[in-house]
Amino acid sequence: MLKNITVSSAPHVSKPLSTRGVMLDVIIGLAPAMLAASYYFRIHAIVLIATCVVSCAGTEWLCNLIRKKSNSLDDLSAVVTGIILAFSLPPALPVWAAIIGSVFCIAIGKMVFGGLGANIFNPAMVGRTFLTASFGMLMTTWMVPATIDAEVRTIAADNTVDARTQATPLAYSKQALKARTGAEAVNEQLGAAFTGEIGGCLGETSALALIAGVVYLLIRRTINFHIPLAVLLSAFAFGSVTYLIDSESSISPLTHLCSGGLLMCAFFIATDPVTAPLTRRGMWVFGIGVGAITMLIRIVGEYPEGVMYSVLLMNAVTPLIDRFYKRIPAGGKASG
Amino acid sequence: MVVALTGKHTFPGGIHPPQKKALTRDSQIQPGPAAKQISVLLGQHIGAICQPLVKKGDAVEAGQRIGDCDAFVSAPVHSPVSGKVKEIGLRSHAVLGRAQAITIEADENSPEKQPSFQVPADFDLSKYSAEQICEASRAGGLVGMGGAGFPTRVKLEPNPQMPKDNLIINGCECEPYITCDYRIMLEWTSQIIAGLRLAKKASGCSQAFIAIEDNKPKAIEVVRAALESSGNPDQVKVIAVKTKYPQGGERQLIKAVLKKSVPSGSIPPMIGVVVLNVATAAALAEAVIVDVPLTHRVVTVTGEPVVRPGNYYVPIGTSVGDLIEFCGGVTQSAAKVVLGGPMMGIAIADLETPTTKTTNAVTILTKEQIGRAKFDRRETPCIRCGRCLEVCPENLNPTRIAHAVKHDLLDVAERYYMSACMECGCCSYVCPANIEITGFIKTGKIFVARQKKRMA
Repeated sequence: MLKNITVSSAPHVSKPLSTRGVMLDVIIGLAPAMLAASYYFRIHAIVLIATCVVSCAGTEWLCNLIRKKSNSLDDLSAVVTGIILAFSLPPALPVWAAIIGSVFCIAIGKMVFGGLGANIFNPAMVGRTFLTASFGMLMTTWMVPATIDAEVRTIAADNTVDARTQATPLAYSKQALKARTGAEAVNEQLGAAFTGEIGGCLGETSALALIAGVVYLLIRRTINFHIPLAVLLSAFAFGSVTYLIDSESSISPLTHLCSGGLLMCAFFIATDPVTAPLTRRGMWVFGIGVGAITMLIRIVGEYPEGVMYSVLLMNAVTPLIDRFYKRIPAGGKASG
Repeated sequence: MVVALTGKHTFPGGIHPPQKKALTRDSQIQPGPAAKQISVLLGQHIGAICQPLVKKGDAVEAGQRIGDCDAFVSAPVHSPVSGKVKEIGLRSHAVLGRAQAITIEADENSPEKQPSFQVPADFDLSKYSAEQICEASRAGGLVGMGGAGFPTRVKLEPNPQMPKDNLIINGCECEPYITCDYRIMLEWTSQIIAGLRLAKKASGCSQAFIAIEDNKPKAIEVVRAALESSGNPDQVKVIAVKTKYPQGGERQLIKAVLKKSVPSGSIPPMIGVVVLNVATAAALAEAVIVDVPLTHRVVTVTGEPVVRPGNYYVPIGTSVGDLIEFCGGVTQSAAKVVLGGPMMGIAIADLETPTTKTTNAVTILTKEQIGRAKFDRRETPCIRCGRCLEVCPENLNPTRIAHAVKHDLLDVAERYYMSACMECGCCSYVCPANIEITGFIKTGKIFVARQKKRMA
């Protein structure tokens, strides 16, 4: 009866919610994009996602073993990192490169900081940056989706090598920018960029699938709308300005939003809670920064895509943002 | 008078825990156990602890003052039974750990106080002066019965530096499980209204409100009807507030009803607001009109394991164990006995712990009700998801404060306004990493208090 009663600090009830549940929600949110990737890139997508997930999880397990810490795989955060890393890789990337990237992103991006919650930079983006720096050629070879008929003319298609490859819309827009003409051809690809029937990173290509996933996360309140909205608004504003100045060489802001990793970043990468600010105002600043830097790199910089660098740069200033936008208590600062 | 049954009035933040009020919502206030032995704690309120006025072996009468103190912020304690002082010694205290208590052994023929006080038909407010009401509230040992136990006299007493203009009677009862205030509103409506009028007169407030959460439409209706039938000479407004925890916190209530913020480090009287719990208002009417001190209160004994959960009129000082036994004991294996509700209540280890003036409920929880979270899951690292920031009704950064305390950085914790925390527990409730955020903050506050004491 009333034996063995326990005591603890209030509150004595809690919401049935766990970190694992949060991560599971994110995985479900990523599922539509996973399906889209498997549809467009077939076996390449499945192999890449499986490789990244398994090697991320394996690295985390090994790091915990070395650090003599308890196993932390059950929080599923390594799985999320693996999927996001796979999503940001070109479909034709060799498996060994994906393994190197996964090991680097978990070991250097996360575990050396102390594991989940302690990392400063988004682990997946750390891994991708490492791969881009190390294997530049592999990281910019884009496969044509398997659904596209070989006879159909796609932009800048190159059918001479083994796998059919093509330039991504963003790479092409870069050429347009340099040639000061031809942006129109990229804008015509907007429909394909929206459904995903276009060359690009695994998970980034289908805007539709990403939007479906984020709607789920927003309904489940797993993420707030602040960061995604801030990223998209600032990127859209930036893109509109350049489009209005010169529509011959600049692609339309909508094409910007649907191309490359911008949606993926706005929905799943910038919203990584560990590396984003805590306060609402901080989230706005962070999101606007991510959007603006991405566009700056796309339009002014040398790279066609700037998502990973913009996220990493904003991750670096997140502690500053948090310090700057401190919350003021409802009753104001105490007088005494 | 038309009163909306759904409230738009609310505050930012807050949570919606399962209410569980159906267990005792329809249980009328019944007489509680006639305990053989009562332990009246000498510190049941915020402020100076009382000194005993009786000695071991003395005979005491029901209602006799047995402990008091000269300090302004304090309240005397009275014996709820007639009998003999058996012992003056340490007893478990829910807040203080262990504290002095006067243990009284009740006589065989000790009168049993019934919850029968009715406001007489000839009740005339003009018969009582403001000073009389304040004096009676002090003499009756009245303290805030909603949980904090702030002496009522200190709240009411007019202060030329802080003129009061708004009186809010708090009928929110936002904690899950508890229904004693709800029953009081239904059954003691006239007492509450009399108490409100007395409090309004004593404090000099110009406006009065009764705030009730909109999950109690029946209470809103009953109070409204009672006010209407009495002609409502004081123009009391009934306000339906949104059902959300911690709506009954006075700072949140003031925000919802008056759209005002109480400055951090201040208490409501400093901005001219007096908040009284409905039980306190009813007790005030009793203390002033028939001069009966606060010796009994309604306690909700609840929780799924309790055989006969309900609302009982209990002599203050009855041990929790006696109370549970009176309710038929428990059926399943209980995991926790909590004084108060599950959000802010205090888990006790000693069933001999006496009830106090602020014990509004004894909630018994099993593992299942507590949720698997607190038992099966370990604490995982903070993923900075920001849920605690979203639910914090005081707009703090709970995770930052908690982690500062965890790493012994009390100065950082204070820079993040640790002292503004009211310990409502919303942050711990939502935390997916299962971190005892509220617990860390409470610990931090205690450390800071100790530091200050050492420096003084």
